[in-house]
Amino acid sequence: MALRNHSGVIASLAALAALLLAWGGNPYIMSITIAALMTGGVALAWALLGNLGGMVSFGHAAFVGAGAYVSALCTLRLGVPVPVGIVLGALGAALSAIVMLPALRLRGPYFALAILAYAHIFRIAATEWTSVTRGAAGLSAIPALPVLPGLDAKASACLLAGLLVLGFALAYRAIRASHAGLALRAMHDSEDATRVLGVNSTLLKGLMLLVSSAMAGAIGAFNAHYIGFLEPDYAFGAMWVTLPIVAAIFGGYRTLAGPVIGALVVSLADQLLFKEWLPIGHQFLLGVLLVAMILAHPSGLLPLAGNVLRRLRPGGNGKGGGHA
Amino acid sequence: MLDLDRLRVCFGGLAALEGVTLSVHEGEILGLIGPNGAGKTTLFNAISGLVRADDGKVRLHGKDITRMPMHQRARSGIGRTFQAPQPLHGLSVRENLVVAQRFGAGELDGARLEAILRMTGLAARAEADAASGLALAELKALEVAKALATNPRLLLLDEVLAGLETAGRQRFITMLQGLHRQFGVAIIIIEHDIAAIRTLCPRIAVLDSGRLIAQGPPDLVLREPAVIACYTGTGGAIHG
Repeated sequence: MALRNHSGVIASLAALAALLLAWGGNPYIMSITIAALMTGGVALAWALLGNLGGMVSFGHAAFVGAGAYVSALCTLRLGVPVPVGIVLGALGAALSAIVMLPALRLRGPYFALAILAYAHIFRIAATEWTSVTRGAAGLSAIPALPVLPGLDAKASACLLAGLLVLGFALAYRAIRASHAGLALRAMHDSEDATRVLGVNSTLLKGLMLLVSSAMAGAIGAFNAHYIGFLEPDYAFGAMWVTLPIVAAIFGGYRTLAGPVIGALVVSLADQLLFKEWLPIGHQFLLGVLLVAMILAHPSGLLPLAGNVLRRLRPGGNGKGGGHA
Repeated sequence: MLDLDRLRVCFGGLAALEGVTLSVHEGEILGLIGPNGAGKTTLFNAISGLVRADDGKVRLHGKDITRMPMHQRARSGIGRTFQAPQPLHGLSVRENLVVAQRFGAGELDGARLEAILRMTGLAARAEADAASGLALAELKALEVAKALATNPRLLLLDEVLAGLETAGRQRFITMLQGLHRQFGVAIIIIEHDIAAIRTLCPRIAVLDSGRLIAQGPPDLVLREPAVIACYTGTGGAIHG
């Protein structure tokens, strides 16, 4: 696997590190960046399911929440170390996705609605199962993330979040480059044409759902240990669906780095610029930005940047996809 | 190798296939003909698993595969083409064959893959985008190449000559004969060109309104009154 294949993600993370250094480790910037990276991680998981599994999910909040609760409960009740808890959170989210496998029979909006319904079921279960989750009262004093040597807690969390997202990008790239990835990409336009060649499309789509849910679960678990508190409406909240989708679409969900870059640009622009200009209702500007991007360049920011760079090059005509 | 036993496929109240019993032998080429709507493609769909039989059995090498999913039938040795070519989008010609070989045959065999590319005339187009970079004849060749890459023992060819001009048809027929010799695969071919059927097939089967009305050597079958009637009404002859 060539390093240049990940140049988009690596370059954006390096730029981010430079930005943070330039800001002198400003805790506020760090907090926004960590939130953006978590959104980017879920956006990457969402884009993986869409690009490789051919499924549009409105239910990733279920995986984020499941991962968060599994990790929080394992560390709180069983004394499991936090890194192990995060791995268990990812596995727990993948396990929770197993009950969604029957929905793979559905296509398009029917799958999207079914998985949205599943997410609501999970939130209600977390609210009502008070003996385990403490219901709406929530879980508090969740063990914190380990702090990397030489860094403060915030900087350490920022670096860990960046590494987690980079790991997701590498996994996504590896899957995409594999033979299964070839088949998955081909399945979009004609599933029958791949099945007749021996491809078990249901199995592959199911595996993508499990991988995507594990990624989202890991982010949920990471977040639980980062903020130290969980309650169902937050852990399974709609923001875990809407923000990642906005980020992925804005950045270019068909590219590898697009969802992460989209999350960083959207979060930083929202918190550092729009909030300054319009303290109340600054999300309005975010909506305008997204609509403008969809209308002007539906494939997103990263392909747009690729086209601009090609135009600037001598002899460039600006054509090309820029897909990862 | 393939045995169909009183196969029945219905779409709602309409029987698209009714009581079709037919055998295909190892390495033979069987022509499947019949007027439009006779059920030829439905028969391919039932053999390959794209539709489920409502009644009857499909057996491959004596094994009942009637309820077997499509991808498993492909892995069991049934390869097929579609009437309208269905290249795998977003992939090159070579990648199309890699997917077919990896999942259908279970392992990559570079030598066989190159042989298929060469014999189907696609070697020079191996890196072209399969969905947008190929002419019709190449798309038809890719259909055959993909099916062959799954390492089939039975190849179902659905009107692979349709839409090709005369010289192209002749080249395609020669290619099919070469592939049959090289790989020893049994073939069922649906084709409306009776001359092509006579050239390729020592035996043909005729479907009409979902029923098998005749089978045997082309010269005999094409003279049968029931066959002539299904094509031309009650009189006349079938030319080609």
